[in-house]
Amino acid sequence: MQDRRVNDVGGLPAGPIDREEHATTLFEKRVDALVMLLTSPEVGAFKVDALRRAIEQNTAEDYRRFGYYDKWIRAIRDLLIEQEILTAEEIDARIADIRKRRAKARP
Amino acid sequence: MTARPPRPGEALPVGTRVRVRRGPPEFHCRTPTYLRGAVGEIAAVVGYYRDPSRLALHKPGLPMRLLYRVRFRQIDIWPAYEGPPADSLFADLYGHWLDPLTGDANGNA
Repeated sequence: MQDRRVNDVGGLPAGPIDREEHATTLFEKRVDALVMLLTSPEVGAFKVDALRRAIEQNTAEDYRRFGYYDKWIRAIRDLLIEQEILTAEEIDARIADIRKRRAKARP
Repeated sequence: MTARPPRPGEALPVGTRVRVRRGPPEFHCRTPTYLRGAVGEIAAVVGYYRDPSRLALHKPGLPMRLLYRVRFRQIDIWPAYEGPPADSLFADLYGHWLDPLTGDANGNA
Protein backbone atom coordinates (compact mmCIF):
# COMPACT_ATOMS: atom_id res chain seq x y z
CA MET A 1 0.00 0.00 0.00
CA GLN A 2 1.03 3.59 -0.45
CA ASP A 3 2.96 5.15 2.41
CA ARG A 4 1.10 8.42 2.53
CA ARG A 5 -2.68 8.46 2.30
CA VAL A 6 -4.67 11.40 0.95
CA ASN A 7 -5.40 12.77 4.42
CA ASP A 8 -1.77 12.64 5.59
CA VAL A 9 -0.80 16.10 4.37
CA GLY A 10 1.06 17.53 7.39
CA GLY A 11 4.17 19.38 6.21
CA LEU A 12 3.36 19.25 2.51
CA PRO A 13 3.56 22.54 0.62
CA ALA A 14 0.14 24.24 0.58
CA GLY A 15 -1.47 27.65 0.40
CA PRO A 16 -2.77 29.66 3.36
CA ILE A 17 -5.46 28.07 5.55
CA ASP A 18 -8.96 29.55 5.31
CA ARG A 19 -9.71 30.42 8.94
CA GLU A 20 -13.07 32.07 8.22
CA GLU A 21 -15.95 30.69 10.31
CA HIS A 22 -19.20 29.94 8.56
CA ALA A 23 -22.70 29.21 9.82
CA THR A 24 -23.51 25.51 10.22
CA THR A 25 -25.98 24.35 7.57
CA LEU A 26 -28.92 22.02 8.18
CA PHE A 27 -27.22 19.44 5.95
CA GLU A 28 -24.08 19.52 8.11
CA LYS A 29 -26.09 19.14 11.32
CA ARG A 30 -28.00 16.20 9.86
CA VAL A 31 -24.84 14.42 8.71
CA ASP A 32 -23.27 14.96 12.12
CA ALA A 33 -26.39 13.58 13.82
CA LEU A 34 -26.34 10.54 11.52
CA VAL A 35 -22.77 9.72 12.52
CA MET A 36 -23.55 10.19 16.23
CA LEU A 37 -26.50 7.80 15.92
CA LEU A 38 -24.75 5.17 13.76
CA THR A 39 -21.66 5.07 16.00
CA SER A 40 -23.64 5.06 19.28
CA PRO A 41 -23.38 1.85 21.33
CA GLU A 42 -27.13 1.26 20.84
CA VAL A 43 -26.84 1.21 17.03
CA GLY A 44 -23.17 0.32 16.56
CA ALA A 45 -23.24 0.27 12.75
CA PHE A 46 -19.52 1.11 12.67
CA LYS A 47 -16.84 2.90 14.67
CA VAL A 48 -15.62 6.42 13.97
CA ASP A 49 -12.28 4.80 13.02
CA ALA A 50 -14.04 3.07 10.12
CA LEU A 51 -15.53 6.41 9.07
CA ARG A 52 -12.03 7.89 8.97
CA ARG A 53 -10.72 4.91 7.01
CA ALA A 54 -13.54 5.23 4.47
CA ILE A 55 -12.74 8.95 4.06
CA GLU A 56 -9.06 8.15 3.62
CA GLN A 57 -9.96 5.78 0.77
CA ASN A 58 -11.04 8.75 -1.37
CA THR A 59 -8.95 9.47 -4.45
CA ALA A 60 -6.75 12.56 -4.06
CA GLU A 61 -9.07 14.44 -6.41
CA ASP A 62 -12.25 13.52 -4.48
CA TYR A 63 -10.56 14.26 -1.17
CA ARG A 64 -9.79 17.77 -2.44
CA ARG A 65 -13.05 18.58 -4.15
CA PHE A 66 -15.55 17.32 -1.55
CA GLY A 67 -16.27 19.29 1.60
CA TYR A 68 -15.82 17.92 5.11
CA TYR A 69 -19.41 16.73 5.60
CA ASP A 70 -19.71 15.67 1.94
CA LYS A 71 -16.91 13.20 2.70
CA TRP A 72 -18.75 12.08 5.84
CA ILE A 73 -22.04 11.34 4.04
CA ARG A 74 -20.24 9.48 1.24
CA ALA A 75 -18.36 7.43 3.85
CA ILE A 76 -21.62 6.69 5.70
CA ARG A 77 -23.10 5.37 2.46
CA ASP A 78 -20.04 3.20 1.73
CA LEU A 79 -19.98 1.78 5.29
CA LEU A 80 -23.71 1.00 5.41
CA ILE A 81 -23.27 -1.01 2.20
CA GLU A 82 -20.03 -2.60 3.45
CA GLN A 83 -21.74 -3.64 6.70
CA GLU A 84 -24.72 -4.97 4.70
CA ILE A 85 -27.17 -2.70 6.54
CA LEU A 86 -28.44 -1.18 3.28
CA THR A 87 -27.79 -2.03 -0.36
CA ALA A 88 -26.74 0.50 -2.99
CA GLU A 89 -30.05 -0.21 -4.77
CA GLU A 90 -32.06 0.58 -1.62
CA ILE A 91 -30.21 3.87 -1.13
CA ASP A 92 -30.58 4.85 -4.81
CA ALA A 93 -34.29 3.96 -4.79
CA ARG A 94 -34.87 6.06 -1.68
CA ILE A 95 -33.01 9.04 -3.19
CA ALA A 96 -35.09 8.74 -6.38
CA ASP A 97 -38.25 8.53 -4.24
CA ILE A 98 -37.39 11.68 -2.28
CA ARG A 99 -36.49 13.55 -5.50
CA LYS A 100 -39.84 12.64 -7.01
CA ARG A 101 -41.72 13.70 -3.89
CA ARG A 102 -39.87 17.04 -3.82
CA ALA A 103 -40.53 17.70 -7.50
CA LYS A 104 -44.23 17.15 -6.86
CA ALA A 105 -44.28 19.39 -3.78
CA ARG A 106 -42.53 22.26 -5.60
CA PRO A 107 -43.55 22.18 -9.24
CA MET B 1 -14.04 6.06 24.92
CA THR B 2 -12.22 5.74 28.22
CA ALA B 3 -8.64 4.60 28.49
CA ARG B 4 -7.48 1.73 30.70
CA PRO B 5 -4.49 2.87 32.75
CA PRO B 6 -1.32 0.76 32.41
CA ARG B 7 -0.16 -1.48 35.25
CA PRO B 8 3.14 -0.54 36.97
CA GLY B 9 6.13 -1.21 34.71
CA GLU B 10 4.08 -1.60 31.52
CA ALA B 11 4.62 1.90 30.14
CA LEU B 12 7.75 3.76 29.13
CA PRO B 13 8.46 6.33 31.88
CA VAL B 14 7.78 10.01 31.22
CA GLY B 15 10.97 11.60 29.88
CA THR B 16 12.06 8.54 27.86
CA ARG B 17 13.49 9.56 24.50
CA VAL B 18 11.85 7.71 21.66
CA ARG B 19 12.17 7.48 17.90
CA VAL B 20 9.00 7.15 15.84
CA ARG B 21 9.08 4.11 13.57
CA ARG B 22 9.15 4.67 9.83
CA GLY B 23 6.55 2.04 9.08
CA PRO B 24 5.06 0.04 7.59
CA PRO B 25 1.87 2.06 8.08
CA GLU B 26 -1.38 0.31 8.90
CA PHE B 27 -4.32 0.59 6.53
CA HIS B 28 -5.80 3.28 8.78
CA CYS B 29 -2.79 4.90 10.39
CA ARG B 30 -2.76 7.43 13.24
CA THR B 31 0.98 8.16 12.92
CA PRO B 32 1.47 11.03 10.46
CA THR B 33 4.23 10.78 7.88
CA TYR B 34 5.89 14.00 9.05
CA LEU B 35 6.68 12.41 12.43
CA ARG B 36 7.98 9.07 11.17
CA GLY B 37 11.64 8.75 12.04
CA ALA B 38 11.52 11.80 14.36
CA VAL B 39 12.94 11.76 17.90
CA GLY B 40 10.94 13.08 20.85
CA GLU B 41 10.32 12.31 24.49
CA ILE B 42 7.42 10.81 26.40
CA ALA B 43 5.46 13.69 27.95
CA ALA B 44 2.55 11.65 29.33
CA VAL B 45 1.11 8.16 29.31
CA VAL B 46 -2.50 8.47 28.15
CA GLY B 47 -3.55 4.83 28.61
CA TYR B 48 -4.71 1.76 26.71
CA TYR B 49 -7.17 2.08 23.86
CA ARG B 50 -8.60 -0.33 21.33
CA ASP B 51 -6.43 -0.30 18.21
CA PRO B 52 -7.93 2.21 15.73
CA SER B 53 -6.28 0.50 12.75
CA ARG B 54 -8.36 -2.62 13.54
CA LEU B 55 -11.54 -0.82 14.61
CA ALA B 56 -11.36 0.83 11.18
CA LEU B 57 -11.88 -2.63 9.64
CA HIS B 58 -14.81 -3.50 11.97
CA LYS B 59 -12.56 -5.71 14.15
CA PRO B 60 -12.67 -5.61 17.98
CA GLY B 61 -9.47 -3.53 18.08
CA LEU B 62 -7.36 -6.01 20.04
CA PRO B 63 -4.72 -6.11 21.34
CA MET B 64 -5.29 -2.82 23.14
CA ARG B 65 -2.57 -0.30 22.37
CA LEU B 66 -0.83 1.98 24.84
CA LEU B 67 -1.16 5.63 23.80
CA TYR B 68 1.52 8.17 24.70
CA ARG B 69 1.69 11.94 24.41
CA VAL B 70 5.09 12.62 22.83
CA ARG B 71 6.84 15.99 22.83
CA PHE B 72 8.96 16.93 19.82
CA ARG B 73 11.01 20.04 19.23
CA GLN B 74 9.68 21.95 16.24
CA ILE B 75 13.23 22.49 14.98
CA ASP B 76 13.73 18.72 14.90
CA ILE B 77 10.72 18.25 12.64
CA TRP B 78 10.74 21.18 10.24
CA PRO B 79 14.10 21.82 8.55
CA ALA B 80 13.29 25.50 7.93
CA TYR B 81 11.66 26.21 11.32
CA GLU B 82 12.25 29.85 12.24
CA GLY B 83 10.58 30.02 15.68
CA PRO B 84 12.31 29.78 19.07
CA PRO B 85 14.31 26.54 19.46
CA ALA B 86 12.32 25.58 22.57
CA ASP B 87 9.00 25.46 20.66
CA SER B 88 7.30 22.10 21.08
CA LEU B 89 4.84 19.97 19.19
CA PHE B 90 2.82 17.34 21.05
CA ALA B 91 1.42 14.29 19.29
CA ASP B 92 -0.55 11.33 20.65
CA LEU B 93 1.15 8.20 19.30
CA TYR B 94 0.69 4.50 20.00
CA GLY B 95 3.48 2.55 21.68
CA HIS B 96 3.92 0.08 18.82
CA TRP B 97 5.13 3.04 16.74
CA LEU B 98 7.81 4.11 19.25
CA ASP B 99 11.30 2.74 19.87
CA PRO B 100 12.93 3.88 23.13
CA LEU B 101 16.41 5.36 22.73
CA THR B 102 19.13 4.63 25.22
CA GLY B 103 22.01 6.48 23.54
CA ASP B 104 23.01 10.12 23.21
CA ALA B 105 20.84 13.13 22.36
CA ASN B 106 21.05 12.36 18.66
CA GLY B 107 19.56 8.95 19.20
CA ASN B 108 22.86 7.19 18.47
CA ALA B 109 23.35 4.17 20.67
